[in-house]
Amino acid sequence: MKLKTFSVPVVALLLAGSLTAQTMTRYEAQPGSKMKIEGTSTVHDWTVESGIIGGSVEVDAAFPAEPDAKAAPGKVNVRVQTALPVRSLKSGTKAMDDVMHEAMKMTAHPKIEYRLTEMTLKEPASGPVLNFETKGELTLAGATNTISMPVTVDRSEKGKLKFRGTTSVKMTSFGIKPPAPSLGLGLIRTGDDVKLTFEWKTALPAKTL
Amino acid sequence: MNPQDSSDFNRRDFLKGTSLATLMAAMGGVPLRAEDAKPAADAPKKASSPPVNCAVIGCGLRGREILNTLAVMPNAPVVAVCDHYAPFLNRAKTAAPKAEGYGDYKKLLANQAVQAVLIATPTHQHREITEAALQAGKHVYLEAPLAHSLDDARAIARAAQAALKSNFQAGLQMRSDPQRHFLLQFIRSGAAGKAVSARAQWHKKESWRRAAPSPEREQELNWRLSSATSNGLIAEVGLHQLDVLGWFLKARPVAVTGFGGVLHWSDGRDVPDTIQAVFEFPGGTLLSYDATLANSFDADYEMIYGTDSAVMIRANKAWMFKEVDSPLLGWEVYARKDEFYKETGIALVANATKIVAQGDKPVEDAPYANTSLSYALEAFISNTYVVLSGVEDFVASFNPNDTAALKEYLAGLAKSKLPAAGWPEGYEATVIAIKANEAILKKQRITFEKEWFQV
Repeated sequence: MKLKTFSVPVVALLLAGSLTAQTMTRYEAQPGSKMKIEGTSTVHDWTVESGIIGGSVEVDAAFPAEPDAKAAPGKVNVRVQTALPVRSLKSGTKAMDDVMHEAMKMTAHPKIEYRLTEMTLKEPASGPVLNFETKGELTLAGATNTISMPVTVDRSEKGKLKFRGTTSVKMTSFGIKPPAPSLGLGLIRTGDDVKLTFEWKTALPAKTL
Repeated sequence: MNPQDSSDFNRRDFLKGTSLATLMAAMGGVPLRAEDAKPAADAPKKASSPPVNCAVIGCGLRGREILNTLAVMPNAPVVAVCDHYAPFLNRAKTAAPKAEGYGDYKKLLANQAVQAVLIATPTHQHREITEAALQAGKHVYLEAPLAHSLDDARAIARAAQAALKSNFQAGLQMRSDPQRHFLLQFIRSGAAGKAVSARAQWHKKESWRRAAPSPEREQELNWRLSSATSNGLIAEVGLHQLDVLGWFLKARPVAVTGFGGVLHWSDGRDVPDTIQAVFEFPGGTLLSYDATLANSFDADYEMIYGTDSAVMIRANKAWMFKEVDSPLLGWEVYARKDEFYKETGIALVANATKIVAQGDKPVEDAPYANTSLSYALEAFISNTYVVLSGVEDFVASFNPNDTAALKEYLAGLAKSKLPAAGWPEGYEATVIAIKANEAILKKQRITFEKEWFQV
């Protein structure tokens, strides 16, 4: 009897605690983000960029989002869903944009999407920038591959998280044939390897700040 | 021909050629032409960007020229046309059979299917329509001059500047013309030496008066002949030539002196049929302009006189006339030459340069055979898509009310646009033309004041 009366508030407390742990805080994508794709070709290296990385990140209460929050290394509970319109990728010349957009099968697959599946804090959280190892699914030109990459999270500004990362992928692994535009009479061929670099700014929605 | 052997083409062609004409041509110097680097003939002609739904407001001669140009473009479906004069509207609908016809432009602007409007009404009607179109969120191509008065031009420029989400293009079509861009580089590089003077003319024998079934319509149709609605030849024609020369000289005139009168078509008009104006540029360079509706000799062209050579521009062709003491450029030895009485003109063929032959830019089958209007409209459609897709992408990903960030994002897309005149170029050209006409009517010298150019 005593045990029972005692256990009700404990269970309630436990429940409440787990509910809080499950409540995710949502950060939304902000302008000023940048995605850069760098590649090579037989004539010169090339770069395309986009200022649009949409989507959101959700972190649980244990995530050290606050500038001075502490956390031990290990897996963190984070959900990330991002999308980038292929047409927003620009090279600076229209002719090259057309070649790139066609190679990426833009008409059928207008978006590049990324979904985080695993995120691990590599060292104890301290200082403004945290180092993570991530795994996620990158969907490009209709093909999805799992990619791993180190990602840093800059939490120095309150209410904001800035993600930075770099990884290399092969065009062919996404079913993309490295373009050899007819414009270059077939003499210009792009290399299979491309480097993706992103800086993704997120912030708490204005009303919750 | 194997396209990969393109660099070898002339020599092989020469070796294969058996006719005397080929031999003669080769010995006399082979003109460097774009054909050297022709893309594969089976490459299909593609639209340069996805389609943008267009509407034309004002379906007179100019409006129908725009309609006919849009009709041959693969990405500019005309969904609406507007003219308050029924016979013009009917003719427009013949040119654009799928378009919906409107007598009232306000109703056209309410049509959500219309994304871009091309305004070709008489100049004095531009302001009201342009402001309403931008207000309605449309992208706007506005014929030049922007307006009849300085106040109207400034109001239009302000509206265009404020309409962040709209692509505004002024109808200074030469600014989109690849031939002019080629010449711009040539002249700015100093290949003609220091420019000491410039000249342009437009000569045509025609009354400018058009017949109409009623006196009211006659008056309305002939808005160009009344100073209350028209700034005459310098604004309706000269503005394009003056803009190109000022652009090439990279300078804005400091003063203008003008003269003019009705010397031939004395039919009650108060807009001169013959004018001359001299523009003074910084450093003393002079630009003289003359236009007449009473004589057609030598038609229209623009000249820049440099210390090493003179450059003559006629429509999509240009020539260089060298001084005997000018340095050898090299390529001119092989260039095509045309005789002009006692002078030899060396053809300035845009695609003769190495840059184009290397395939940095798409090579046209017949270089620059298209009209400058078609290049301008291609740029308008393509740039409109850059703006509208940019706005869509931004709004879908970020806070749509963050105008500062949107403005910055759109500014970053500028590199993806094709060259075209925006509101600043359109406004400046309009101010110069309005003031030049004032000088012509008053037979006076007018100094351009800085604040006239401030929007």
